[in-house]
Amino acid sequence: MIDLLWNNLDYAASMILFCIGLYAVITRNNLIKKFMGLNIMETAIFAFIVALGVVDGGNAPIMGEGAAEPFINPLPQALILTGIVVAVSTTALALSLVIRIWRQCGTIEADELREAE
Amino acid sequence: MISWPPLLVLFVLTPLVGAVLTPAVSDATGRRSWEWAIGTMLLTSAMAGALIMRVLDEGPFSYVVGGWVAPYGIELHFDEFSASVAVVCLLGLLAVVFSRHYAPAALAPERIPYYYTLLLLNITGMIGFIVTGDLFNLYVFMEILSLSAYALVAISGEKTAEMAAFKYLVMGAVSSLSILFGVGLLYALTGSLNMADVTMRLAGSAKAPLVVAFAALTLGLMVKSALFPLHIWLPDAHAIAPSPVSAILSGLVVKVGILGMLRMYQIAYGSGAIDLSGLNLMLTWLGAISIVMGAFFAVFQDDIKMMLAYSTISNIGYIVMGLGLASSYSLIGATVHVFNHALIKATLFLGAGALIHQTGQRTLSGLAGVGRSMPFTTAAISIGAISIVGIPPTAGFLCKWYIALGALQAGQPLFAVALVFGALLIFVYYIRMVNAFYFRKPQDAGASAVHEAPATMLVPVLVLATLCLVMGVLGSLPLSFIEPAVARLLAPLGGG
Amino acid sequence: MKRALTIVLLIVLAAVLLNAVAALPPHGSPDTPAYTHVGAYYLEHGPEETGSENVVTSVILNYRGFDTNGEVTVIVTALMAVIAVLTGVRDAGNRPDTDATHVEPSVVVRFIVRVLAPFILVFAVYVILNGHVTPGGGFQGGTMLGALVIALTLVLGERESAKLIPQRPIRIIQVIAPLTFVAVGLAGLIAWGDFLSFPRDEQLRPVAEAMLVLIEAGIGIGGAVVFARVFRLMGGRS
Repeated sequence: MIDLLWNNLDYAASMILFCIGLYAVITRNNLIKKFMGLNIMETAIFAFIVALGVVDGGNAPIMGEGAAEPFINPLPQALILTGIVVAVSTTALALSLVIRIWRQCGTIEADELREAE
Repeated sequence: MISWPPLLVLFVLTPLVGAVLTPAVSDATGRRSWEWAIGTMLLTSAMAGALIMRVLDEGPFSYVVGGWVAPYGIELHFDEFSASVAVVCLLGLLAVVFSRHYAPAALAPERIPYYYTLLLLNITGMIGFIVTGDLFNLYVFMEILSLSAYALVAISGEKTAEMAAFKYLVMGAVSSLSILFGVGLLYALTGSLNMADVTMRLAGSAKAPLVVAFAALTLGLMVKSALFPLHIWLPDAHAIAPSPVSAILSGLVVKVGILGMLRMYQIAYGSGAIDLSGLNLMLTWLGAISIVMGAFFAVFQDDIKMMLAYSTISNIGYIVMGLGLASSYSLIGATVHVFNHALIKATLFLGAGALIHQTGQRTLSGLAGVGRSMPFTTAAISIGAISIVGIPPTAGFLCKWYIALGALQAGQPLFAVALVFGALLIFVYYIRMVNAFYFRKPQDAGASAVHEAPATMLVPVLVLATLCLVMGVLGSLPLSFIEPAVARLLAPLGGG
Repeated sequence: MKRALTIVLLIVLAAVLLNAVAALPPHGSPDTPAYTHVGAYYLEHGPEETGSENVVTSVILNYRGFDTNGEVTVIVTALMAVIAVLTGVRDAGNRPDTDATHVEPSVVVRFIVRVLAPFILVFAVYVILNGHVTPGGGFQGGTMLGALVIALTLVLGERESAKLIPQRPIRIIQVIAPLTFVAVGLAGLIAWGDFLSFPRDEQLRPVAEAMLVLIEAGIGIGGAVVFARVFRLMGGRS
């Protein structure tokens, strides 16, 4: 089990990062920090999927002069480019909502907001 | 024309282009953007009609975008389950019609064109989600759908709306990540993202990642569907959003999770790589708890839209229970209930929106006696209420009957009891509502001075109420339509 | 108490996840399904079938072009959502737009931004136009372009920075990315029978490249405008 995990250390690291992010989402009170936790989770999943495409000793999948095999799997990189754009979009909307909540309530602490309700 | 292959991709692109161009064509009053949105929805609905004709004619079909054959390119797939785009287009169209007088009253004028844009993008996301045959493409369309839904909840600009939207966004983003993680694991195991190809290549994969992949997908999709105990974002978001948005969210957006589950089952059952009976048992239990809890909370609500929001949780419980029982009757009942509940809940939310728009009241006590001044709207709501309880001959009856039969077929009569008990609770709270409309005296003179809603609100509500009755009478039609798809789904399990 | 419970739950979750990833095909091995199936096809046939040396770009724009079409729609959705949430505020709100007192950017910042701006611009355009042979593409270049507009907004002051984004046709320009995508896709549909299909003959290679560059430019400009507008909207400008 430990051996297998050691082989898949990249995957294991992203799983740990995922749990750290989830911890921040659950326990942080400040809405921006909560969302930063979510960004950590996003990064963890993106790192996991990009790591799926790695091959030992691989080069960037750009053909042409001087390019040598083996090449890294291009598909996960293409997927995660899309994933990053999605994450940026979600972050933009979340921060806009936080700005509005701040202007209307004067606080972005979750417990104070709950009391104000 | 009907079998012209690229129609399937144009069907996704039409609402997309219509949506992004809405702000450009709009004028100061928002009238032009309304007309533009209507035009877009009519065109989209016509295309949906053509596609459904084709699936009736020749069964499931696919289209590969850019001519790259699957699994290398992205495949769009249209089967009987995809026929739910019909109800997406119908409700989208009616919600846009309804917004004609509702939006200017509820929203700042600058926001109106963007309101229609987001509504159309939401429809685009749903259509894309339903017709795609590729796991990552599914995620992309789900994000279009989710982002527009968060913004639509917040669009009224009220403090509570923005907080509800933020809560919805955090839960929604975590669930999207969970789904993306599941997709990533399936990719790691098979090297493919095309659903049909994944199904073929999944057999013989390592057990632990496979279990986690399906667990992550289920978790994510069930947050989107607001199954108990993952429902905490739903009541606020659905109750506070503008009423046409509530109709879309409650009628359609939560169902996207269910349709995603059906796709997941197609992969799991088709590949035979994993035994889902444990998951199914859990879903059946959670579904049963959802039915009872949703109904229980709804009984204590005074706010009419809050009550309808809890009723959605209860009805999602029915559908998930049907999925979990995994017998042919229960699956047919569940998929048809996806369709019927969309019609019924849209009737109720749009009707409630019309009441709130005309009277300015949203509590049952404030709406007392409104049946005298707004007879058509309240009649339509009453039809919706009868349907949702499941009294024959309305739309809600047959599918609940099928789910109950499915429980017996699966040898689990206990769940049929839960279903009947839930229906009784639902009966109680809708009786309260109808009682308030017709048999209680108006609290103040204002309530009796209100008039019937304008035609743009009344017509969608009446159309939907009529459909609730029609679907009750013709209830066997969708049942027999969906039957071959369910049979195909369950075939690998040995007939179900 | 709540925190301790959370930690325990997360440790259980981490154990389950680690157990799952330990059983995945070994990391970095060339024999994993992820490397031998679809990915291998792209590496083998990508350059000849799509004409772009950067296989990542050929996946993004050719094989999985429809995903990218959805992706540009996602950023446009985000912009529409931000506009819908932040503009047309009826109530004045309890708070002023910003609590921070306005601070003039220092001489160093102003100087550096002004000196670097043309270089950033050239590099952004280079990255957008060379996406099919080098690392980069529309999104990467568009982000640089958007960052340039943001940096200039910081040093230029309100009046001049408002001119950086064209005001009159903004309603078209902000959605230019999905519009170019669909337009090029429809051109492919009309000419070669499939949405988003590109000519594969050797003689028609320049046409295909022109179509790809058009898409990249659309993504770049559209992305830049979206980023810059979101930034300005958040700062209470329009």
